Amino acid sequence: MAFVSPRTISKAATLRDSILFVLSLAAMLWLVLRGAGQMGYSWHWQRVPGYLFTLEEGRFIAGPLLQGLGMTLAITSISMVVAGLIGLLTALLRLSASPVGRGLSRIYLEIIRNTPLLVQIFCFYFIMAPILDIGRMTTAVLALSLFEGAYASEIFRAGILSIHRGQWEACHSLGLTRWQGYRHVILPQAIRRIMPPLTSQAISLIKDSSLVSTIAVYELTMQGRAIIADTYLSFEIWAVVACIYLVLTVSLSILANTLKRRVHGAT
Amino acid sequence: MPLLPETNNLGFDRENMVKMRDVCKTYAGGVVALDHFSLDVRRGEVLVIIGPSGAGKSTLLRCLNGLELIDSGSIVIDGIPLDKNEANQLAIRRKIGMVFQSFNLFPHLSVQENINLAQRLVQKKSPAQANTITRDLLHRVGVLDKAMRYPDELSGGQQQRVAIARALALYPKIMLFDEATSALDPEMIGEVLDVMRNLAAEGMTMLVVSHEMGFAREVSDRVVFMEEGRKVEEAASAKFFTQPQQARTREFLSQIL
Ligand SMILES: Nc1ncnc2c1ncn2[C@@H]1O[C@H](COP(=O)(O)OP(=O)(O)OP(=O)(O)O)[C@@H](O)[C@H]1O
Ligand SMILES: [Mg+2]
Repeated sequence: MAFVSPRTISKAATLRDSILFVLSLAAMLWLVLRGAGQMGYSWHWQRVPGYLFTLEEGRFIAGPLLQGLGMTLAITSISMVVAGLIGLLTALLRLSASPVGRGLSRIYLEIIRNTPLLVQIFCFYFIMAPILDIGRMTTAVLALSLFEGAYASEIFRAGILSIHRGQWEACHSLGLTRWQGYRHVILPQAIRRIMPPLTSQAISLIKDSSLVSTIAVYELTMQGRAIIADTYLSFEIWAVVACIYLVLTVSLSILANTLKRRVHGAT
Repeated sequence: MPLLPETNNLGFDRENMVKMRDVCKTYAGGVVALDHFSLDVRRGEVLVIIGPSGAGKSTLLRCLNGLELIDSGSIVIDGIPLDKNEANQLAIRRKIGMVFQSFNLFPHLSVQENINLAQRLVQKKSPAQANTITRDLLHRVGVLDKAMRYPDELSGGQQQRVAIARALALYPKIMLFDEATSALDPEMIGEVLDVMRNLAAEGMTMLVVSHEMGFAREVSDRVVFMEEGRKVEEAASAKFFTQPQQARTREFLSQIL
């Protein structure tokens, strides 16, 4: 079977696909509207912007949904950095010569990867948080970082192992220490291969962050739930919340694709 | 077997830069790469090691600078025993420069940065000090005009000369060359051999694994022929090529000459 690269698809096929795409979207919208109609749901879209933001005397005031977005951005960006550090450290430990380091990192990875994130969040909230005396926000960041860090470590590990062993041998024969080799030779080369999958991991992190609404951290999902509890605007608010997540994740994946293309173009 | 006289003294030795005694190395797969291998290399001597593929030539070089750990036997480099002591291991790695078949330059660094790196990190030189040495070495190996280029912008011969300069920047006392010209297009072999020839003339102690018999004949002081991890024959180079003692050596030479 001949391999057809996406670029060689004809204009006619593109047009046909676009029409199909619009038709499917219309069909879905019609289904939703019909469902709402059958339930006797009355739409109140005009009330939605007020939950996003209000303008008082020309001053911009963020509504609960935008505040939630801010919280989601704060939690995910801090978690991204912490998860990245945990991931790197775990990868280095797994690749180290120390049996203790390798053992510890394996135990961490097995626990994280084989239990549901929601259960991990509850464990942190109900067990660790009282012991360590930390707030909900810190608990959320910690749980998310440890979870995503486990996956990030696999990405780091694969990236480090993809560097040709001759690079290590050159470092060794030049008398560099192991750490100097990582710092100046291996990681700078690995990071270019690691960035695209790491960005995909960041997208998962944004989506997973909605789970911390279960411990009443007022991020985007929690704000949505709170508004709906007050107003019963479930269709409108969930649609808007989903759209906000979509905007976040799609912009990140566009960034990831640009990065990927740049990496492939450069090597 | 016509071996050079050996002493049993493993301690400091002014004459010998490299002293290997009964070194054995078996890889995880069970391949015996070095089988009770002993070797002395004098200060300033150029030793060429030849042998069929899988003879253990690379393993021999890699054991000397600690890239592979030996199972038994002893190695003393310039009076320092290669043992479990990490300070000794590091000291030995810093005395030995190694040049690889596949160059192994750092692709994310420019030529100048490649050569500066270990000077900065290992010898703690200032950027200015390192640059001076780097540019002098690049001049000597004839690629000064490429200082700001990246390795993938250079020809194979130029890359290998940069790799030699990078190893020389740490003022090693011994240089190991593992088939340094085998990955090169024929027209580039000469320029790399010229650099090695100059190095030999300057009195560098060199262990050279090579298939370049012309170079071996002309530049080396001594040739070791090995097979299956053992030394088959060892002789001064003139004698090695004109009057090989072992039948196996004659057979090997007739195949490659
Ligand atoms: N890392 C390794 N793991 C297992 N076996 C190895 C390893 N490196 C080398 N060997 C084996 O050890 C033997 C000696 O290998 P070595 O590379 O030292 O030979 P060589 O003389 O350099 O050969 P060539 O001329 O092909 O480079 C070979 O049989 C090889 O397959
Ligand atoms: Mg070899």
